[in-house]
Amino acid sequence: MRIAAGVDVGSTQTKAVVMAENGGREILARALVDTGANVRKAAENAFLAACHSAGIATPEVGFVVGTGYGRYNISFGNTQMTEISCHARGAHFVYPSTRTVIDMGGQDSKAISVGGDGQVMDFVMNDKCAAGTGRFLANAADVMGIGLDEIGPLSLRASRPVRITTVCTVFVESDILSYLAQGKKAEDILGGVHLAIAKRTLSLARRVPIEPQITMTGGVARNSGMVRALEEVLGTTMQISPDAHFMGAIGAAVFALEKMDQSFESSTWRPEHAAGSGH
Amino acid sequence: MDFERTFDIGTDLVSDLDFARVRQWKDQHPGGAVIGYFPVYAPAEIIHAAGMLPVALSGGGDRLDIQHADARFGSFICSIIKTTLEMGLREHLTVFDGVLFSSICDSARNLCFVMKRNFPALYTDFLHLPHNPSSAASIDFLASEYRRLIQELERMGGRPVTAEALNESILLYNRNRQLTRDLYRFRCQNPHLLRAWESYVLVRAGNVIPVEEHNQLLQDALAQLPSRSGRPRDSIRIVAEGAFCEQPPLDLIKLVEDVGCYVVDDDFAIGRSWFVEDVPTEDDPIHALAESYVNRAVYSSVRHDFRAPRWEGLATKVKQARADAVLFLIAKFCEPAYFDYVLFKKKLDEIGVPHLLLEFEEKQFTFDRVRTEVETFVESLVFD
Repeated sequence: MRIAAGVDVGSTQTKAVVMAENGGREILARALVDTGANVRKAAENAFLAACHSAGIATPEVGFVVGTGYGRYNISFGNTQMTEISCHARGAHFVYPSTRTVIDMGGQDSKAISVGGDGQVMDFVMNDKCAAGTGRFLANAADVMGIGLDEIGPLSLRASRPVRITTVCTVFVESDILSYLAQGKKAEDILGGVHLAIAKRTLSLARRVPIEPQITMTGGVARNSGMVRALEEVLGTTMQISPDAHFMGAIGAAVFALEKMDQSFESSTWRPEHAAGSGH
Repeated sequence: MDFERTFDIGTDLVSDLDFARVRQWKDQHPGGAVIGYFPVYAPAEIIHAAGMLPVALSGGGDRLDIQHADARFGSFICSIIKTTLEMGLREHLTVFDGVLFSSICDSARNLCFVMKRNFPALYTDFLHLPHNPSSAASIDFLASEYRRLIQELERMGGRPVTAEALNESILLYNRNRQLTRDLYRFRCQNPHLLRAWESYVLVRAGNVIPVEEHNQLLQDALAQLPSRSGRPRDSIRIVAEGAFCEQPPLDLIKLVEDVGCYVVDDDFAIGRSWFVEDVPTEDDPIHALAESYVNRAVYSSVRHDFRAPRWEGLATKVKQARADAVLFLIAKFCEPAYFDYVLFKKKLDEIGVPHLLLEFEEKQFTFDRVRTEVETFVESLVFD
């Protein structure tokens, strides 16, 4: 049995997936930690947690691919791939019919056109703007005084979603405050916020061919309100895996298995304990 | 002297916003005038033949904070327009006696007249380039514009532009363009020995020194390069296209190569060598220059010539450079480049050449997002 791992160091959370190949490919374990300020430590902790959960010793992992914005800070990785390549490959691994990936993460969003083998055909990233990202929704939740996990389900109850004039993460606050002052219901305001972001994301995604099947990945895929709003503006349903959040790490693990046999100048060093844990 | 030393000379010249070398030239040439010119198609030969120093303007880069220009231009105007005006308003251009613009885009045209209004003592001129090279009148029209320019320069105290002087200048600039072509050819064949940002610095250094000195600099570099050592890297060969006017930050060009690309051809600082062949020396050199603009000018998004469409020019460039892909480096708010992107993209899709669009601004300090985009592009080609 060959074992490889993918570590996705995102802006908000770090994900690690341990994958085995024994005839077929199988996810052995996943782990999720907050990234925080120490990116290197977060990567090690996530990797160790995934290995622990898989019941394997870290040296058993033959190849590690790092991805995400902090991919170059992973001290024990063999190589790096971008999160765009990894989300495409991860989505293809979970849903081979995937032709488009909409990835909404903590600080950026992307639309990826995916080929039949999971390769990236075309892609587009959001500009220097938080609209369409988890950060936008987190800000909206803060202004409303509602927990981030609650805003999605609450928005689903909207009967008359408000119109939002801006998708600027900073200025949407005044829109929300204005609607609160008018006595609008929280669910209608949140319904409007989710719809505005969905439209913004669709206009980004239109720059690549949007072809079925569409798979949504990234942390925001866990927000049911965002999923419904996106499906509404897309006019179709999306494939959303319970592992949507781990898709980058899954893709990285798939790449790691594929690269194991290639002649890389590989580091065999693996952390045994969490960085800074004193062991 | 080794290549690194020659390169350092170029770096110093490119990074000087105060035009120290230009001031030095002026001290050495009492009464000599300095004429700045905005990209792309400026007749530096004429300014040189008038005994003046032609200096190519290429914006303020990332070292000049905008304090005044934003009050004069809308937020939708590209960086080079604003930083050029800012340099004037912050007295970086005091060494200049004149500035020359030409019809390349609306913003550049307006900059000419904004400069005129803000700096009345500065000779500010606008050269009307013919927009239809297919017309029989184009050459005569441009020749008359060049004659008008010569009259203005002579009125400013320039020496009379004789046919002999102009032919001498043409020969010097022909040499300069030949050396630039040689440098590009060397890089295309040995991209591991000469990086794109290095050749860019060497070429751009010519903006602020007399052509005679720049010829020497390029000649030295070409002589030193073959003895440079370097190991070929596993990189894809790309053509960079779209930065014919505003220049991308040096760090961006470096990054593109660092993440797995060889930039084997580009249009950086293309205004330095915009004739693709030698300008002939003849009895009427003004006619020769005008005829060369019509028949020997490099394609760009600000020169319209349906006899030789620029998308075909790009396709030829890709083929000649044996490039795997094209990287569009387009300045934010550059209308001509964005209009042409559609035409270029259509052509590249037709001939099956992958491409990626990156937008840049003069002032850009973090490149994480761009790095991810270029890396993904490289990965999609390498791990196809």
